[in-house]
Amino acid sequence: MKILIPVKYTIDVSQLKFDESTKQPLLDACPKAMGDADKCAVEEALRIKEKLGGTTAVVSIISGDEGLRVIRDAYAMGVDEGYAVYHPEAERLDALSIARIIAGVYRAKGPYDLILIGLASGDTHSGVVGPTLAAILDIPVISGADSLEVTDEGLVRAKCMMEDGTYVFEARTPAVVTVTTEINEPRIPTLKAILKSKKKPISKVELKDIGLEGISAGIEVLDAKKYEVPRKRVIIDATDPSKIDECIEKIVGLLREEGVL
Amino acid sequence: MDFQFTEDEIRFRDSVIEFCKRYLEPKWVEIDEKKLIPVDLIKRMGEQGLFAIPVAEEYGGMGGTITMAAIAVEEIAYHDPSVATAVYTLLNNGWPFVLSMFANEEVKGEILPKVAEGEAFYGIATTEAHGGSDIGGIRTTAKKKDGSWVINGQKTFISGVREVADLPCGGGWFMLARTGRMEEAHRALTAFSLIPRWNGKFKDGFEYSVYEEIGRHGISTGEFTLKEFEVDDKYRIGDVNKGFYLAMEGFNVARILVAAACIGTSRWALDQALEWIRQRRLFGRPIASFQGVSFRLAELYTELEAAKLLVYKAAWLADKIYIEKATGFRPADLNVPVAMAKMKAPELAVKIYEEVLKWFGAYGYTKESNVYRGWLGVFSYTIGAEGAQNIMRYIVARDVIGRDYVKA
Repeated sequence: MKILIPVKYTIDVSQLKFDESTKQPLLDACPKAMGDADKCAVEEALRIKEKLGGTTAVVSIISGDEGLRVIRDAYAMGVDEGYAVYHPEAERLDALSIARIIAGVYRAKGPYDLILIGLASGDTHSGVVGPTLAAILDIPVISGADSLEVTDEGLVRAKCMMEDGTYVFEARTPAVVTVTTEINEPRIPTLKAILKSKKKPISKVELKDIGLEGISAGIEVLDAKKYEVPRKRVIIDATDPSKIDECIEKIVGLLREEGVL
Repeated sequence: MDFQFTEDEIRFRDSVIEFCKRYLEPKWVEIDEKKLIPVDLIKRMGEQGLFAIPVAEEYGGMGGTITMAAIAVEEIAYHDPSVATAVYTLLNNGWPFVLSMFANEEVKGEILPKVAEGEAFYGIATTEAHGGSDIGGIRTTAKKKDGSWVINGQKTFISGVREVADLPCGGGWFMLARTGRMEEAHRALTAFSLIPRWNGKFKDGFEYSVYEEIGRHGISTGEFTLKEFEVDDKYRIGDVNKGFYLAMEGFNVARILVAAACIGTSRWALDQALEWIRQRRLFGRPIASFQGVSFRLAELYTELEAAKLLVYKAAWLADKIYIEKATGFRPADLNVPVAMAKMKAPELAVKIYEEVLKWFGAYGYTKESNVYRGWLGVFSYTIGAEGAQNIMRYIVARDVIGRDYVKA
């Protein structure tokens, strides 16, 4: 089984801070790493490889060498090969551009039996890269797998929990499967693995080699601000017990106005 | 000059944090309550590579650095602020490292891989009833008999006595014993690997008991008595009568890690305080808005940063000496930087806890709040453990003022 895992070098949203005055996210100061869902995709790929044999490879689109960290992190988890695609505006690529680049790597370095990818990245959280990639490659896709079973014969069976129940989807390889963070608990790299991972070569893939020279960012961020719901700060004086019914009526009225009741 | 961790160090720190959040943080109160670090957690820590970090891979270690060991201990102390798990970790990094430098190849191959895997404990046993700091006054004797040594004596306030009994393989300590006359003081001490239990029962001539302490309950402290206890000569570490000097090098490494543990638990205490002082309201405003609280927090935060710099400067220097073996750096260069870090970090940690407990008010004095666990745990390091605080002052004063003025 040959598995490709696209991983994103992205901000750790749990550590994101905002400028108190402008409310803008301090993206440059935020630590970056592999996203949680991507880690689960790597873990799932390693488990499949441990069961069925084969090779695993990660691909990441990065704007600079600091982004190589995600590939080294995947190496430290046990991934065999890594491809770094440099794009000067990697952080602003739209889902279609990302999918086209990954498809280019798939064709140039593959074919692969399976593409495992996190359901959505921690920053943009679009969740459409996996399905778009499958559409470009004209192969099946299963989105949001909470558990996955892959057989030697190339049958992929995924359980996906939806609002109205659990669905089981099947597909034949080659296929794309996007995974949730429920699918597994990713292994934590050991120090030895971390130290070894930096010695392992990373293959650089030029956009021109996959016929995508000049692919543009696609997204222009006009503004980003912390989402805050302003408090209404309505105070109802309920200190006089004789007026308690009146106060309750006022509260109920206000809640009705807001559409809560 | 670069004050940043390397990429490897950052990635390692992130992995330790992830490990601690998953396996240690949910258990730390239980560890303190049940007075036990579960054997399966120690085993898991071994699998994760959290022991023998600076020990070379050829001896079963992780092939890392003393800075990395300090990073691990700091994060472990943050996620178990009682510092019990940090104490276990620092002992099983510092003293295996000393063993890897000075023991013979056969003993390294026998002991170190098991310690690294979390199957065996390896700590330090120098303190005796007459006092821990007076190493020159050690009374435990070792007498040569054919190819072995016969050891008699008693060691007190020794970490890990129960762990040696509980862990699958067992373990022991880097131990000093007198191999000459009392008058020769520290010049007649020899170091041994004392391994009373290894894959089975305790060897004859070894008896131990465990003390009831007031804090950091997860790691045991106790005493043991050696009666005609036989140790093969292969377990002698370094030359006869040179043990004191090896122990001092070992203490320098271990003290860096002790100080790192104090930084970790202090960070935790201040993080608890930050959350509390922002939300706790008095007189209609958060207590953080009172300068009596906010200025004090600023002072402690600054002192903690200073202590952290002392710790990591000492760790950096230790790596230059022992890991990189860089020219122009000698083991003795570590004495003062380490003493400063070990003097500052534990006392600051206690100071931080005492302030934080007061900010928590009456709630801080109850067992509902877990802040007291860190306070009681870290207090042990202002008393002693890897060197008493006044010994640290003595080392710094002796260097700054001069040996002619500052006498032991």
